[in-house]
Amino acid sequence: MNCSDCKDKLDRYVDRELNNTEVLELKLHLEGCPPCADHYEFQAHLKRLVKVSCDRDKVPAAFREKLRQILL
Amino acid sequence: MAESPARTAFAEEALTHLDTLYRGALRLTRDPDQAQDLVQEAYLRALRYQHSYQPGTNMKAWLFAIMRNLFWDRFKGSRKEDVSLDDVGEFVLYDKLRDEGAKPEADVLDKLAASEVVAAVEKLPPLHREVVLLVDVEGFSYKDAAQTLGVPIGTVMSRLHRARQQLQRSLYDYAVESGIVRASGTSQVPQQ
Repeated sequence: MNCSDCKDKLDRYVDRELNNTEVLELKLHLEGCPPCADHYEFQAHLKRLVKVSCDRDKVPAAFREKLRQILL
Repeated sequence: MAESPARTAFAEEALTHLDTLYRGALRLTRDPDQAQDLVQEAYLRALRYQHSYQPGTNMKAWLFAIMRNLFWDRFKGSRKEDVSLDDVGEFVLYDKLRDEGAKPEADVLDKLAASEVVAAVEKLPPLHREVVLLVDVEGFSYKDAAQTLGVPIGTVMSRLHRARQQLQRSLYDYAVESGIVRASGTSQVPQQ
């Protein structure tokens, strides 16, 4: 695998969408290619950051109760 | 009103996905009141169409699909101009920072406030925002996201890729505005 292939597969790797063979190939490339490994770390970090930031919002208790009243 | 046990059980199960639906509605509408209206309407519709849900399949995806379809029904008028995102290039934020010797994760990403990240997500056009919500925030597979959105997997992948590039662009702008980096891309954090 070269850097271009790696770049093409990076989104799918970060999203755990590659098959086992592709994961092994990509891991092998990342181990020997610090620039691609840095790209990967950055992408993975950004994905985590988006999740953690958006996860902070909680359903207001009054709304949860209102829904329960309506639906149950 | 006394509800049938089957309907109550269905509603109980549906309500276990309330957090996901509310977060999604909040990001799509960008307004807590509208988000609550949207979620409530989605739940009422879900109960009305309970018969079309196949037990054992992904209820979270099914509910999210109902909600986002309602959202698009309401905002149909703005759909056309919303479709595209300009190509902003690859690894915008990363490229701008790494050449300066900064550590993009430690020096920049870790210093961005969560509210700035949320603002960057909300700045994405809705068609791209919903893919980020499903895949990055809620952990949907590409397949489930594609099914939820009614598009091919390739469309999920391309929207996600574009959305991430745009996110990096927005976060770079925030980082400059808030003084985390200088406009040239140099991190202001002292280097080891």
